[in-house]
Amino acid sequence: MIEFRKVTKRFGANVILDEVDLDIEAGEKVVLIGPSGSGKSTLLRCINALETIQGGDLLVDGMSVRGGRSEVRTIRQEAGMVFQQFNLFPQLTALQNVAFGPRRVRGTPKREALEQARELLAKVGLANRADHYPGELSGGQQQRVAIARALAVRPKVMLFDEPTSALDPELRQEVLQVMQALAEGGMTMIVVTHEIAFARMVGTRLIFMEKGKIAVDGPPAELIDNPANPRLREFLQHVH
Amino acid sequence: MDFSWSVIWDAMPALLAGARLTIYITVVGLLGGLVLGAVAGLFRAFGPAILNAIAFAYVELIRGTPIVVQVMFIYFALPVLAQIRIDPLTAAILAIIINAGAYIAEIVRGALLSVDKGLREAGLALGLPFWKVLVFVIGPIAFRRIIPPLGNQFIVSLKDTSLFIVIGVGELTRQGQEIMAANFRAVEIWTAVAIIYLIMTGTLSFALRVLEKRMRIL
Ligand SMILES: Nc1ncnc2c1ncn2[C@@H]1O[C@H](COP(=O)(O)OP(=O)(O)OP(=O)(O)O)[C@@H](O)[C@H]1O
Ligand SMILES: [Mg+2]
Repeated sequence: MIEFRKVTKRFGANVILDEVDLDIEAGEKVVLIGPSGSGKSTLLRCINALETIQGGDLLVDGMSVRGGRSEVRTIRQEAGMVFQQFNLFPQLTALQNVAFGPRRVRGTPKREALEQARELLAKVGLANRADHYPGELSGGQQQRVAIARALAVRPKVMLFDEPTSALDPELRQEVLQVMQALAEGGMTMIVVTHEIAFARMVGTRLIFMEKGKIAVDGPPAELIDNPANPRLREFLQHVH
Repeated sequence: MDFSWSVIWDAMPALLAGARLTIYITVVGLLGGLVLGAVAGLFRAFGPAILNAIAFAYVELIRGTPIVVQVMFIYFALPVLAQIRIDPLTAAILAIIINAGAYIAEIVRGALLSVDKGLREAGLALGLPFWKVLVFVIGPIAFRRIIPPLGNQFIVSLKDTSLFIVIGVGELTRQGQEIMAANFRAVEIWTAVAIIYLIMTGTLSFALRVLEKRMRIL
């Protein structure tokens, strides 16, 4: 589904991703952890070409992020993204936010798009907030709308970049529950998070990044309970 | 000093004709200025290097010179340079278009760049081409932020038309000047002229405040 082949990302002279090789199969729930600045967000953003790569190749469903514009747009439609800061469109209601992708990307007729959006909002538990503007919603509600917005384009993989980091602790659970339900529904997911409990329970694979490289890659429960890598052990002690 | 109402009464038809011309120059000039400013502002914010540079040069040239010099150039120098005759009214309207366009370009550029980068990325991440992100995400948000500074520019441009007295356009200030030259009633005439300007700018301010209220600023 997603293939990193010696992917190198540089900002100026700084190497952010250093010849990363990584294969992710459909249905996997990959949790990415690692110290700040290790390149987690960058790795995620390379997948949907929000960052361009300078070396190697990265294929999503057989398409290259280094392909043409229309290839990149197709990749983006197949890889939905959820941001730390939600990034909902403030001029649109929750419902319009969710209907936005289908309408503007897929050209779905308005009525159909709104109907689908209503169903998706119900799925994330926000049927009664459809006509609220983002500014009128709590952080947790906004993030759930953002998840619904990404799902509306019917992606094959969902990318989450610290989806709960901007939320107060008491609002995190509602977002994590939506993500868990999504995982149980079979969605392929790559999640950058510090929620170790979520990684253990929902993840099928844990990746620990360090200085632009994948340092550890394996089953979450094992790695969390018995981290062999000393730096992973130290990292886990800090986030716990 | 005796304040004579009849002087104002007699001058009114001419002053109102002047006010009409002032409004005409302002409205047509600002419509043109909006188009020019939107395009130049867009180039400044997201345009390719060459168009960005051209827009930058235009804005700096206009902001760095007085509007009186600009209209004099259009009216007196352009015919010499390009062998085209321009009547005073056209020169006045052109001056507003070019002058307001430059300031509006800066307003548009600022508003476009003030829109959170995360929103642009959210639009792109859905698979939209950049132009659609511009039309459906950045544009609508920037538009709301443009209204207040734009209103300010409208008022400035309206008052700037009084400077076209230098090329003899019969707008409000010029009318006042001519009547004054004939009857020497400075107090009455300039009071009346000032009040007519106030009514025009006041109406504009009021309309903009209503628009601002009706539109949520994001
Ligand atoms: N636009 C940019 N320009 C220059 N350097 C950047 C840019 N974006 C990220 N970087 C650098 O790339 C490195 C990796 O950043 P990245 O955001 O991927 O880290 P991260 O693992 O997500 O960290 P965090 O946990 O803090 O979110 C950092 O050193 C950062 O300073
Ligand atoms: Mg990050």
